[in-house]
Amino acid sequence: MLSRVADSLYWMSRYMERTDSILRMLKINYASSQDTHEEFSWRPVLRIFGSLEQDRVKEIEGSGRKVIQYMVLGRENPNSIFNMVTKARENARGVQDNITTEVWQSLNEFYHIVHDDRLSYQLQHEDPITVLDALIKECMLYFGVSDITMFRGEGLCFMNVGKYMERAIQTADILDVKLSNLAYDLDKPTDTTYWKYLLMSISGYSLYLKRYRSGFEARNIIDQVLFNVDFPRSVLYSLNQLQRYFQRLQSDQNTEGFNKVDFMIGKLRSKLQYSDVQSISQAGLHSYLASINAEISGIGSNLNRYYFAYS
Amino acid sequence: MPSTHLFQQYSLAPRTWDEMYENENVRDQYQNVFDFLQGIPPDELSKKEELAKKLFMSQGITFTVYSSGEGVEKIFPFDIIPRIITASEWDFIEKGIKQRLRALNLFLKDVYHQQFILKDGIVPVELIYSCPHYLREMQGLNVPHDIYVHIAGIDLIRDHDGTFYVLEDNLRTPSGVSYMIENREITKRIFPDLIPQNFVRPVTQYPSILYKNLLALSPRRISSPTVVLLTPGIYNSAYFEHATLARLMGIELVEGRDLVVENHVVYMKTTAGLQQVDVIYRRVDDEFLDPLIFEPSSVLGVSGILSAYRKGNVAIVNSIGNGVGDDKAIYVYVPDMIRYYLNEEPILKNVPTYQLSKQDERDHVLKNIDQMVVKRTNESGGYGMLMGHIASEEEIIAYKKEITKNPRQFIAQPVISLSSSPCYIDGKVQPRRIDLRPFALCGPDGIEIVPGGLTRVALREGSLVVNSSQGGGSKDTWVLAR
Repeated sequence: MLSRVADSLYWMSRYMERTDSILRMLKINYASSQDTHEEFSWRPVLRIFGSLEQDRVKEIEGSGRKVIQYMVLGRENPNSIFNMVTKARENARGVQDNITTEVWQSLNEFYHIVHDDRLSYQLQHEDPITVLDALIKECMLYFGVSDITMFRGEGLCFMNVGKYMERAIQTADILDVKLSNLAYDLDKPTDTTYWKYLLMSISGYSLYLKRYRSGFEARNIIDQVLFNVDFPRSVLYSLNQLQRYFQRLQSDQNTEGFNKVDFMIGKLRSKLQYSDVQSISQAGLHSYLASINAEISGIGSNLNRYYFAYS
Repeated sequence: MPSTHLFQQYSLAPRTWDEMYENENVRDQYQNVFDFLQGIPPDELSKKEELAKKLFMSQGITFTVYSSGEGVEKIFPFDIIPRIITASEWDFIEKGIKQRLRALNLFLKDVYHQQFILKDGIVPVELIYSCPHYLREMQGLNVPHDIYVHIAGIDLIRDHDGTFYVLEDNLRTPSGVSYMIENREITKRIFPDLIPQNFVRPVTQYPSILYKNLLALSPRRISSPTVVLLTPGIYNSAYFEHATLARLMGIELVEGRDLVVENHVVYMKTTAGLQQVDVIYRRVDDEFLDPLIFEPSSVLGVSGILSAYRKGNVAIVNSIGNGVGDDKAIYVYVPDMIRYYLNEEPILKNVPTYQLSKQDERDHVLKNIDQMVVKRTNESGGYGMLMGHIASEEEIIAYKKEITKNPRQFIAQPVISLSSSPCYIDGKVQPRRIDLRPFALCGPDGIEIVPGGLTRVALREGSLVVNSSQGGGSKDTWVLAR
């Protein structure tokens, strides 16, 4: 497979995973903002995903609609849905001969939806949840169509490598922000809705209810979000999938690159597998989460170096 | 309820061949479609037009126009009423194009080898050496199977009596074939059942014929040669076509930066290292192909690709330097080429053409410029033309100055009134001028022409210019089996 093609598929997939994750997060945050008598601050959301100056953050952090407008359509926000879907589609456009027409059309239609002027109007005047749900549906369509139609080859492996790397990063980031609001104090008393909405935003609420019977407890939340391999958005689950799809790329050629990246993925995966909540909270939660992100970004730069370098 | 008013505004232009009407009567080949259109409710056609637009958009059959940093997706305008060609008309066209292409291939081989046609004085020598598309790098080089033109898009028009004329021979990188294929797909969706009812010949076989021909050119005798399509990239207005053809042939779509030449062999950069490339169907023009030989600032091409080609390590399609065969000044001599190389009378006529480098012809043209179309010999796409019958006094004066500066760069043709065809515009069926570009494929087994082509239509009322850059659109083109 052409290096440029592998690179584009990897990024197409990363952008779509991020799009999906941000949309879900926006939806649940908006829902939670409707369910509180206190002032709801969007500051954490803007901090992880936005790129605004302090003053601008202050200006809009109290207004859900303004934040959603900025996060969905902000041209100046590199992580806005508008920009990410545009980039995902641009990547797809350059590799149309390596994806199925179904995948291409799902991205192309999504692109036309985010470029339609009606979207801005709807976000300002209609129910944001309905609008966000419609966008989430486009993501689901993309994921479903990729899964059902893409041929089981190198291309799909690079897409899945990108997808699970991005997912691990997103999950770690979201958890980090939630914990930072508590100053990383796991015994700080919190409202149950605080954790409930975190779980809902990463689709882990019902699993939590079934698995952890003792109510909302920070340690259990961390356990599920980082280590539960039955939870498809947990960091360990994502790393297992990352390893699985990356190892399918093994071949007689490029053994140096393969060994290097494989080693890094294996090392990070083991680190997660042989950690538990107690040990990481002693060592420092923030530094642990930050080290996960740093290692994933190291994997990214080595993929770039050994697999995607073409210019 | 029949909507007879649909055709009420269909007013035939004088001295113009109409594809559907012969005076007041509908031609046989259109009767079926005419009845069908009459029989559907008035709003239905507009809905179908909407559906067609939606299908083009959602399938990404678009090109991007960049303004103020943001890309806007545009569709190439599509008229929903098909253009119909009868079996006997097609038979004639097919024979004519095959003959013309045989002669043009022989001409290119001759020009780049012994040059008999120049020595015998049939084509003037100075015309060849003054042609910017003549490339001395090709001189004496043998190309696989002696085929220079693998893909040709020869433009045809019809005069007022229905006679077909060749307007130009596109022998370099003719585009539009994806619209031949996609327009048909759209027609299938907006007019279900209409195609089988009319016995329309299919066009879907085009990519497989092309792929078969490309495989046959591989310099390495191996079971599965690597064939690639070289595109200038996603910013090119024909990018959709490049992606479609690559997908339909199952070959890799590459950009210049994906390729590298090492020791006169072309490779593509893959995740598993370098992989040798055997055949390149390039959609990059000659002058951008190899920055070492041609335009040094080109980033679209590949350094050293020409040396690999000259060594015979890679096949390039179409061959390089073909522009000397479709130069508008050399066009004049194509009928003579047919007589010279094939000893046959030309089947398809040339539009009468004046060469402005000749004193007497130039005088004649300058005197009668209000009845002439003057074109630059090295331009295409409808750029740099003067339409004498509608140009202003100032335009004519300015253009005349240009002509006297360098007469070799111009030819003139009398205004030919392209045939008209029914189009659905603003809720009414109205006549608009059209041309026809069938796509011919030359392979080692001969020339094949897929029954169909690109019908371009001048959507502006009264306009004779069908180029997409000048407000043109396209139609599905039906060739009937009986």
